Amino acid sequence: MEGTVIRSGSAGSEEDGTEVESYQFGEEIQGLMSVPPESGSSFTALLGLPATQAMELLHSPESDEAPATLSGEARVDQCQKPYLPSFNCSPSFPSNAALVERAARFSIFAGGSGEDSPDTNSMPSNSSRVKNEPMDTDSNPTTPPPLISDPTVGNRNLKSAKRKEREKKVKGPSKKNKNVASESSEDAEKLPYVHVRARRGQATDSHSLAERARREKINARMKLLQELVPGCNRISGTALVLDEIINHVQSLQRQVEFLSMRLAAVNPRIDFNLDSLLAAESGSLMDSSMFTPLMWPEVQVNGNRQQYQQQWQYDAYNQPVWGREEDNHNFITPENSLLSYDSSANSGTSSLRVNLLKMEL
Amino acid sequence: MENPESVSRESKTKKRRKTLNDDQTQSISNNMKWRTEAEQQIYSSKLFEALRQVRRNNSPAEANHRPRGRVVREAADRVLAVAAKGRTRWSRAILTSRLRLRFKKVRKQKVTGGGRLRKVEVRKENKGITVLQRKVRVLGRLVPGCRKLSFPNLLEETTDYIAALEMQVRAMTALTQLLTGGAGGLAAPVDQLQSNLTSPT
Repeated sequence: MEGTVIRSGSAGSEEDGTEVESYQFGEEIQGLMSVPPESGSSFTALLGLPATQAMELLHSPESDEAPATLSGEARVDQCQKPYLPSFNCSPSFPSNAALVERAARFSIFAGGSGEDSPDTNSMPSNSSRVKNEPMDTDSNPTTPPPLISDPTVGNRNLKSAKRKEREKKVKGPSKKNKNVASESSEDAEKLPYVHVRARRGQATDSHSLAERARREKINARMKLLQELVPGCNRISGTALVLDEIINHVQSLQRQVEFLSMRLAAVNPRIDFNLDSLLAAESGSLMDSSMFTPLMWPEVQVNGNRQQYQQQWQYDAYNQPVWGREEDNHNFITPENSLLSYDSSANSGTSSLRVNLLKMEL
Repeated sequence: MENPESVSRESKTKKRRKTLNDDQTQSISNNMKWRTEAEQQIYSSKLFEALRQVRRNNSPAEANHRPRGRVVREAADRVLAVAAKGRTRWSRAILTSRLRLRFKKVRKQKVTGGGRLRKVEVRKENKGITVLQRKVRVLGRLVPGCRKLSFPNLLEETTDYIAALEMQVRAMTALTQLLTGGAGGLAAPVDQLQSNLTSPT
């Protein structure tokens, strides 16, 4: 069936693959041809060759001399890549030759005038043949990355171009209630809302359309998350990906906890470090008298504290009695005070970290 | 006539759904924002400020009651939420939770009690709550302020939250190393922090 799209709710990353899988290559090539040379350059980029060599290669099946050289090279290559000879037998891959020819014509138009480079080495022809093979056998037009010079950009251009083209085409035959959308997706971006488009062969009632829209949203966001969380690209399936995400968030939060404990231990030393670091700083930082805690006048400090109360909303500062000796204690024995706080720490693991801190300090 | 019906139905879907492309570009730009050096520097300097004030606030007997690690953590989270400029739900939740916790300390205990009950329910009715749903709930609990959020919005919040957390970890690591005079490879963050502090903008 032409253009049937099979969607699974869970597989977000496989979307593009499954969509294009069921697509006939003729339409692909038409899509390629109707799109301006940008995709032409990406097509040649797919081959990993400059346009001239690509044309040269694609010309070769048409010329008479070429089969001889091709078969000769194929014999040489046979030891390396056993499936290559099948490429030369056109009947086994009828669409292949047609594809190549059409692509050749297209690349001719797109690539401009081509000079005949001398008979190419076996290398580029090998690589191009290998690429053309997977292009047809894999039914995935995005050929394997190591062979492509400009993989991601070219493929994405192709993919998005093809998607737009296909959607434009599908709109024609499908007549649905909601498909007033004769606009392309670019128009949809400009409008404040998006027309929900039903692809051919899919249910068209409002519920399934809404479902599909919802699933698309979820899948798009999952994709973003997968890129963000390391090691999530290979996992497929929402549940496992969610597991990974949860683990990652928990580990990040634990790291923050650990670092904050560490910073708390370091905190008393901030005053000493400040002398060196903030020597040039102006009075934008409120107290320059911080360096001499022993000499703080009572009034000023009380005023500051109340200010901080309002700002930061800490509770229980109302105790008027606070000894300066405590400051000294805090300076001298940060580790001991940390250990005493251990009981109220969140989890048992933090005690481990405190021990680590002690060792470090 | 059919037209007004279809139009109204279309308008409903239109209003319900934003353009996917716009969503993606915006969230991507937000993610990139958390990765920029400037953002990290801003956060570092603000955190530094907050820590100094914490230090000053802690000198009274407060230090006996509350673990300083906890206070530092809360300060760090708060500064992070401020850095988010309130565009995300979790940042707003962090900023408002301070206020809530101040007045109602009982709230925390209530929450844990309810959580235990909920877990028991889950075990009994296995098919009522699917595995996926359970994970979504867990994630909602992890991200502050996102418990009763729809799944796609929760994912969006999580994306931003993870990016912000990573920046927080980077900044705090650099700050810690700077302050403890840690081992080598610190030339870059030290310079940044110093330049940031000496030339306040």
